Amino acid sequence: MAGKEPVIEVKNLYKIYKVGQNKVRALNGVDMTIYRGEFCSIVGTSGSGKSTMLNMLAGLEKPTKGTIKVAGQHIEKLSENQLVKFRREKVGFIFQSFNLLGTMNAVENVALPLSFRGVPKKVRLKKASEMLDLVGLKTQKKHRPNQMSGGQQQRVGVARALVVNPEIIFADEPTGNLDSHTSAEVMELMRKVVTEQNKTLVMVTHDNHLATFADRIFHIIDGKIVKVEERDHSRDMKISEAATVEELLQKSAMEDIIEPDASETEEAKKPEEALETLRQKEIQQVEQP
Amino acid sequence: MRFSDLIRMSAGNLWRRKLRTILTVLGVVIGTASIIVMVSIGIGQNRSLMMAIEESGSLTSVQVYNWGRGSGEDQLLLNDSMLEDFLAIEHVESVSPRLNFNVVMKQGAYICEWLQLIGVDRATLEKIPLGEGRLPDKDAESLEFVVGNTVITNFYNEKTQEYYWETQKIPEVDFMNQPLFTIFDRDSYYQSQSGQGESPKKYLLQASGMVEGDINTWNQYSYGVYCDIDALKATLKKIFRNKVIPGQPTQKNGKPYSEFCYEEVFVNVDKMDHVQDVLSAIQEIGFEAYSDAEYVESMQQQSRTTQLVLGGIGAVSLFVAAIGIANTMMMSIYERTKEIGVLKVLGCAMGNIRTLFLMEAAFIGFIGGLVGIILSYAVSFLINKVAGNAMGNYYYYGSSVEASISYIPPWLALAALGFAVLIGIISGFLPALRAMKLSPLAAIRNE
Repeated sequence: MAGKEPVIEVKNLYKIYKVGQNKVRALNGVDMTIYRGEFCSIVGTSGSGKSTMLNMLAGLEKPTKGTIKVAGQHIEKLSENQLVKFRREKVGFIFQSFNLLGTMNAVENVALPLSFRGVPKKVRLKKASEMLDLVGLKTQKKHRPNQMSGGQQQRVGVARALVVNPEIIFADEPTGNLDSHTSAEVMELMRKVVTEQNKTLVMVTHDNHLATFADRIFHIIDGKIVKVEERDHSRDMKISEAATVEELLQKSAMEDIIEPDASETEEAKKPEEALETLRQKEIQQVEQP
Repeated sequence: MRFSDLIRMSAGNLWRRKLRTILTVLGVVIGTASIIVMVSIGIGQNRSLMMAIEESGSLTSVQVYNWGRGSGEDQLLLNDSMLEDFLAIEHVESVSPRLNFNVVMKQGAYICEWLQLIGVDRATLEKIPLGEGRLPDKDAESLEFVVGNTVITNFYNEKTQEYYWETQKIPEVDFMNQPLFTIFDRDSYYQSQSGQGESPKKYLLQASGMVEGDINTWNQYSYGVYCDIDALKATLKKIFRNKVIPGQPTQKNGKPYSEFCYEEVFVNVDKMDHVQDVLSAIQEIGFEAYSDAEYVESMQQQSRTTQLVLGGIGAVSLFVAAIGIANTMMMSIYERTKEIGVLKVLGCAMGNIRTLFLMEAAFIGFIGGLVGIILSYAVSFLINKVAGNAMGNYYYYGSSVEASISYIPPWLALAALGFAVLIGIISGFLPALRAMKLSPLAAIRNE
C-alpha cells in the first residue's frame, strides 16, 4: 500500500467506559491507516469494540486517549459543532436500520444531507435523482420508505451517503437487516461505488463472509486489532465491471419479486405493484429478440 | 440550512401528527381567545367612556365654583376681573362663565316656581343641540332662551295642583308659540302670594328654541333654560336698577358690586396634560375647582385594573396551553430521538435542529393565535349583539354612545398573535435545547 495517500490515520487510540466501579476498555491502543480509494472492513464479534471504533472515526464519540486524523483534520480536538460540520462536509453514513425519514420519499431522503448544506431545492433534488439512478432505483423515486423493500431502502441509504460527495463513507452493519441475497447485492453495489467513484469506504460488520468483500479486513478482538487481511479483488472485479448498472438493477428487481423480503422490519411488497413489475418484465422480454 | 427548508421540515413534522397538533393548537386557540375577549371588554368600556367624554368636550376644561362667598373680609369674587386672572394662567385658552338666575314662569294654568335661567357665552350656546327653533339672539329686545327638553315636566297646574310626577300628564305649555309670563323678583312674588305687598312686575318672554329630544331622552342640556349671558346681565341690570340683584353678593355696607359674580366658570385648557397644572393654579387662588380629567384618570386607572384582572384570567388558560405545547414538543422529541440522531449524523447543524423545534412550537402558537383571533372576533360580536341589546345604550355625561361592551382594536389582535407565538417559542425552548443536545449515537443504536 506504499505510495498511497492516507485518509484516516489512527494512533494509539483508547476508549474507556466506566460501568459502575469497573472500567471497560472498549478500545485498547488501536493504530490503523486507511488509504484513499480503499474498501476496508472492521470485523469482530459483538463487544469487540468495532462499533466504538467506527463511532470515533465518524466523530460521534470522543476518544479517551489517542489521535484520529481524518482527511488531514485531527477530529479528537473538535467541538461538537465542529464535528457536525466535519460530518456534513466530509462524511457519508450508511446505517444498519437504513434510518430513512418516513415522511419523505426516496428522492427527498437522498437530498436531505444536501439541504443541511443549504443547497437549493431544485439543485439537490436533481442530484439526488441522479444518485438514485446510480444505485438502480429509477422507478421508486417517489416511493416512501414504507413502500420499499429492505434492499431498496438500503440503496436509498447508499445514495444518501454518496450524494454529498464525501471523502469517506462509513457503513455500520449495512446489511444487518437484510437477507443474504439482498445483502450480497448491496455489498456488490458498495464495491462498485468504491471502484467507480474512487471513494473510501469503512464498513463495520460481525460477519466474516461479508467482510471479505473489502480490500482490507481489520480483525478486532477486545479492543485491539489482531489481524489485518488483504484481499485481491482484481479477479472478481472483472466480473463486476462486466455487469452494468442496468443488469444489476434487473437482477435485483427479479429477486425482489420472486423472493419477497422476509425481514420482519419491512412491509411486504404490495401485490399489485409486484404484478405490474412482472408485466413490464414480460413486455421487455417479448420485445427483446 | 435554508430558512425555507427549515419551515418546510417543521411544518411537515406538525402535519405528520395532525391530531396531536390540532389538540395542542386548540389549547392555544382557547387561551388566546380568552385573553383577547377579556381585554376587549375592558377596552370596550374604556372606549365608550372616552367617547362619551370626548363628545361632551369636558376633558380639557376645569370647572371653578364660587361657593362660600358673600361674607368675610377677603372674600373672593368670581367676576370678570377674576376671569382676566384666569386667562393669564399658562395654557388657559378661554374662559366661559355661567350666570344662574332663578325665575318664576307661567303660561295659562301652568306655573313653574323655580326655574333656573342659565346665562352662558356664545360658544357654549352654539354647542346646544337644537330640536327646533334657533339660538337666542343676543340683541333681541326681550330676553330669549332655549328650553331644555325635559323642562316642561317642572310645570304644574296652579288651579288643580296637579304635578307631572303624579299624573304623568304632560303640562300644556307651548314654549315655541306662546309667550311666558316671567317674574324675576321671586322674593316679592312669594310675599305677594302670602298676601303681603304687591305682586312684582311680569315680563313676557319668548323661547327661541328647544333642545332636541322628548321628555324621556336625556342630555346635558335637558334640564336647563339657556340664554345669552350678556343679554341676561343687561336684563337683570334693567330690572333691578340700583337694587341688589338676588343671588349676587353684597359689599359690607349692603351695596351691590358693580360687576356680576358668576356661579361657575369653565376654564378651557389647551391640552389634557396641562389640566392638572391649571387646576392647582386655580385652587391656589382659593377657589373650589374640579376637572373631569381627574375623574377620567381615576376611571382609566380603574379600567386598567379591570383589564389586568380580566387579562390575567385569560392568561391562565394561555399558560395551560403553554404547558400543553411544552408537553407535546417533549413527547415528539422522545419519539424522534432516533430521527434527530440521524439528522445529526448526516451533518445537520445543532443550531438548525434547535431552530427546527422552536419553529414547530412557534407554528403551534401562530396557528393557535390566528384561529384564536378569529374566534374572539366572533365571540366579541356575539357579546355585543346579545348583551349589548339587553343593556341598551349607555349614557355617560348625557350624551349617548353606541354600546360596545367588547371592542377588539387591531393592535390587540396583533399583540395577542405575537404573544401566542412568543409563548410557543418559550415553551418550545427547553424541548428544543434537549433535542439539540441529544447524542447522535441514538441513530446508531439498534433496538
